Amino acid sequence: MRIWKYLLFTVITTVLLTSVSAAAQAPLALDLRPDDKNPSSPVMGDHLRFWSTITNTGTAPIEGLVAWISLVEIDPGNEQPVDLEDWSAHKAITGATLEPGQPLRTDWPMRLIKGGDYRVVVSVTDRGGRRVFTSPTVQFHVRQKPVLKAGRVLPVAAGVPLLIISLMIFNKANQRRRKGQV
Amino acid sequence: MKTHWTIAYKESAQMLRSQRGLLWLLAFSGLLSAFSLLLASNTELSLLDNAQVVYMMCGTVLAAGALLAAILGSDAYAGEKERGTLVPLLCAPMGANALLTGKALGLLSAWSVMFAVAMPYLWAVGASGQNLGAALFYLALFGTPVVLGFGYLAMALSARTGSVLGSLLSTVTLLMLAASPLLIGPGLRGTTIGRALDAINPFAGALNTFDSVIIDSEPFAAQVGRLLLVVAWLGLCLLAARRSAAHPNF
Repeated sequence: MRIWKYLLFTVITTVLLTSVSAAAQAPLALDLRPDDKNPSSPVMGDHLRFWSTITNTGTAPIEGLVAWISLVEIDPGNEQPVDLEDWSAHKAITGATLEPGQPLRTDWPMRLIKGGDYRVVVSVTDRGGRRVFTSPTVQFHVRQKPVLKAGRVLPVAAGVPLLIISLMIFNKANQRRRKGQV
Repeated sequence: MKTHWTIAYKESAQMLRSQRGLLWLLAFSGLLSAFSLLLASNTELSLLDNAQVVYMMCGTVLAAGALLAAILGSDAYAGEKERGTLVPLLCAPMGANALLTGKALGLLSAWSVMFAVAMPYLWAVGASGQNLGAALFYLALFGTPVVLGFGYLAMALSARTGSVLGSLLSTVTLLMLAASPLLIGPGLRGTTIGRALDAINPFAGALNTFDSVIIDSEPFAAQVGRLLLVVAWLGLCLLAARRSAAHPNF
């Protein structure tokens, strides 16, 4: 009788563990790699490209797939997510359908706007599921270079024409005064 | 005071005292303001290297200076003729060269004012980068003979044709041809014909020097050949102007 109890316990445990493991297994495989042609030491203004591969490892089709790229600055004391507004025009793919075993390879171009250390990651979710899957991260460093400082340009761009206009007004007033004297 | 200084004083006063001269300066500063604001506000352009931006601005200043020289030079003789003041000038007790020198000095002072107006813009876009001092030095060294050369050429045509419009059209057409390297990419200029045109074009010579010293930080020794080109351009235009000014069309 005791042997039967142990046997039953073992069977139930095995069944439970198998089902938990199956539920935990992601139906998606995600990979993210930098392009081979990316500069080894990129500088501000350079273009980088990353390649993601999303594969449906499950048995059912995945519909309404959404994948998006995120960038995080990881400079010490300045850790923050980056608004991709100026960095990339290609921020997401939406509505794709993946059949079981089918891979989806996507490139993510990016223009380097600011110097610093960054980490990039691609996240994926689908219409039906409630989970978000993330790729491995790729880290890179962007070297600083001297570029235009808008704070210095604005006063000059507005000030010099205003100075000339003031000179014109002053000249005109002087001419009128002289005419008045004559 | 020597006669040519009197003429030079009168000509240069037009730049700072007359509304016409100030209007030109306002247009010039407006052009540089628009250019620098475009550079600062456009994400793509704002990522250009400082040296590249200074190089582009030097080319713009040079083109505007040469255009001013074409306008003032075209007006020098033909304008006096159209206003009916050329004959009294020619009857005045002074040599033909004094009139030409006075007009050229007036043009030189106008170019100096333009240079002074351009300086804060060059500082604003290039102070955090490299070779700003070299950019200013070479803009003066190469820009002055190129600008004066166009001025002399316009004066030669103005004295010979007696028509402001005719002289202006001819000089501006030549200027547009000479300034084409500003628009044509380095790839096209790298062809045999492009290189041949660069070798004889003083405007391209000045631009290549700006590129060489501002972006590539090359020494003066590398610029000597191009300096000879712009000096030769100035000499040839001066000769043409002297010949035409000796027998102006009045």
